[in-house]
Amino acid sequence: MLTRRLFLAGIASSTTARAENAAPPVAVGSKLDLEGGLLGEMMLLALGEAQIATENRLRLGPTSILRAALLSGAIDLCPEYTGNAAFFFHQDGDPVWKDAAAGYARAAKLDYEKNRLVWLAPAPADNSWVIAVPASLAREHNLRTMEDFASFVRGGHRVRLAASAEFVESAAGLPAFEASYGFRLDARQLLVLSGGETAATMKAAADGISGVNAAMAYATDGALKALDLNALEDTRHAEPVYAPAPVIREASLASHPEISDILKPVFAKLDLATLRDLNEKVAVEGADPGAVAREFFRAQGLLR
Amino acid sequence: MALMPKLHDRVLLTLSCLGFAVVFSGGFLNHAQNRLAKGVAYSLFQAPAYEAAAAMAGLCGLALASFVRDERRHAFATILAAALILWGSLAGAGHFAAILMQAGTPAARTSLGPAFWILASVAILAIVDAVQRGNFGFPARACIGAAFCAGFLAMAAVGDFDHLALAREFSNIRGIFATELWRHLGLVGAAVIAALMIGAPLTVLVLRKKAMAGFVFASLGIVQTIPSIALFGVLIAPMTKLSEELPLLRELGINGTGPAPAILALTLYSLLPLVRSFHTGLSEVALEVKDAATAIGFDARQMFIAIELPLALPALLSGLRVVTIQAIGLASVAALIGAGGLGTFIFQGIGQYALDLVLMGALPVILLALLANLVFETLLGLARRNL
Repeated sequence: MLTRRLFLAGIASSTTARAENAAPPVAVGSKLDLEGGLLGEMMLLALGEAQIATENRLRLGPTSILRAALLSGAIDLCPEYTGNAAFFFHQDGDPVWKDAAAGYARAAKLDYEKNRLVWLAPAPADNSWVIAVPASLAREHNLRTMEDFASFVRGGHRVRLAASAEFVESAAGLPAFEASYGFRLDARQLLVLSGGETAATMKAAADGISGVNAAMAYATDGALKALDLNALEDTRHAEPVYAPAPVIREASLASHPEISDILKPVFAKLDLATLRDLNEKVAVEGADPGAVAREFFRAQGLLR
Repeated sequence: MALMPKLHDRVLLTLSCLGFAVVFSGGFLNHAQNRLAKGVAYSLFQAPAYEAAAAMAGLCGLALASFVRDERRHAFATILAAALILWGSLAGAGHFAAILMQAGTPAARTSLGPAFWILASVAILAIVDAVQRGNFGFPARACIGAAFCAGFLAMAAVGDFDHLALAREFSNIRGIFATELWRHLGLVGAAVIAALMIGAPLTVLVLRKKAMAGFVFASLGIVQTIPSIALFGVLIAPMTKLSEELPLLRELGINGTGPAPAILALTLYSLLPLVRSFHTGLSEVALEVKDAATAIGFDARQMFIAIELPLALPALLSGLRVVTIQAIGLASVAALIGAGGLGTFIFQGIGQYALDLVLMGALPVILLALLANLVFETLLGLARRNL
């Protein structure tokens, strides 16, 4: 009798649970990299705080895989960078991507028209490619901006840059820097790593591995400070702006329209310095990204 | 000359010498200010005295054991010495890390150095060698294995390893480790079952129609030559297209990324070794046996169940073993196409230059492969005994 009652109670509770969550849980995805995981944890946390059911699909794979998963509906929501839309829509020659607001507007427009994907409010940060040099070298030769770096290269100093194949070959990467600032690195001045993880390039520059004294990095990289590297300022805006923004499937947003307002205050607080600090906690101190996200929410008063 | 003891086990003496060499030359622990810093190497002799002494005594023990002639005594002495090395290096590393970490910040990392890994490998190889030479039965082997596992788990339970970088990394992924482990096992299981379901009829086809054999093996061979990462990548486009065309697939959650293409790729890789070993196993059943069976009136079905299958069983199991172990390793790459699994930690670790995180993915993959090997060895032993 007891078991029967428990059984019935079980059915009752499961049906009410289903009735309450009529909409399926929001599947949140991210790239494999550190910042992707961190932004994903923040999305999960923010949605959880608002009592929206989520499914954790973080650290799914590289950009192309995450994009395919979002387009196919395997995930509903993920962080993406405005500059990447240039590659999704094969418009990487267009100067519009070098402007934060215009680039965001273009990305949002194209993705909605073609794929019914909605770009929510972006963070006021730009995680674009940068070139970083050891702080000692920067001090010695007074290197602060890319203009300084260009004249350093033109002056015939010994330079060896560790970078990913993508950075070296893509028009928006190293060639854009070279064209804007008027310098040229030949094959002997480059150490090309096909994988192109910035951790490896930065480590090479910091430890002087294979004579490397400059590294491709991301502006928000958390390891820059710990490895004592200085990111050189892109004063002429040679690179596209990579502002992180939440991208959501229209159908998912329709069943949870409040997500837009839930994520807005979170991303609004993520400026370059904040993102770099948060990334540093994970990259250097090895803290758990979920815990870092929670601590950030607590400090910013985003927890209920 | 009679006083000079005679060397009995060259392998063991070599292992012992390797252990001594690495203890004197290599870093036992590496202590860094944070995950990315270079760090300072410490030798075993700077570790707590009892533990270091135990490891050194164990190495001397191995050297002495290599002169013991009686196989049983030789085996016991070796296992005892190896146990000392294992305890000394594990506890030495753990306790030493605790001391080093006391002085540092929480961001500091104490990682295991080359001397540790080689010492541990020396001990494990010595044990495997001793068990094989000692000719122990299955129960004795199981007991020895269980005793070492229990010892390791007991040390972990009392927190001996808590201050090592590996444990720090594990505590970060504790929440998702089990999920990814199950995903990994799910990928392997699904791929092996799918390969069996396709491989068995394919073997029958190849056995019946000899003309087909060349074609089937050639096509499966070509699949085998495609680099794993390329095959995983190549499958994304057609599978995405397929799921766009067929709503049923879409509803089942089958699309270009995630587990579906991963399982398909793993299955394709499994087919060649599976079909080849099935084919060899079944075609090597002696004709005389089959003739005798026909003579006493067996029909084709009886022949297969009572004669061919049992006689070919060891070959079939060997094929399954190869395929399972291969799939356990290859499934790591699936993390790159959104299927998750232990590869997630490997690629995350590579991306962050966190080698201990890489190990948190790689070590379980190695252990799973060893475990699978052990299970199939046991099954093979049983199958051969029943012949």
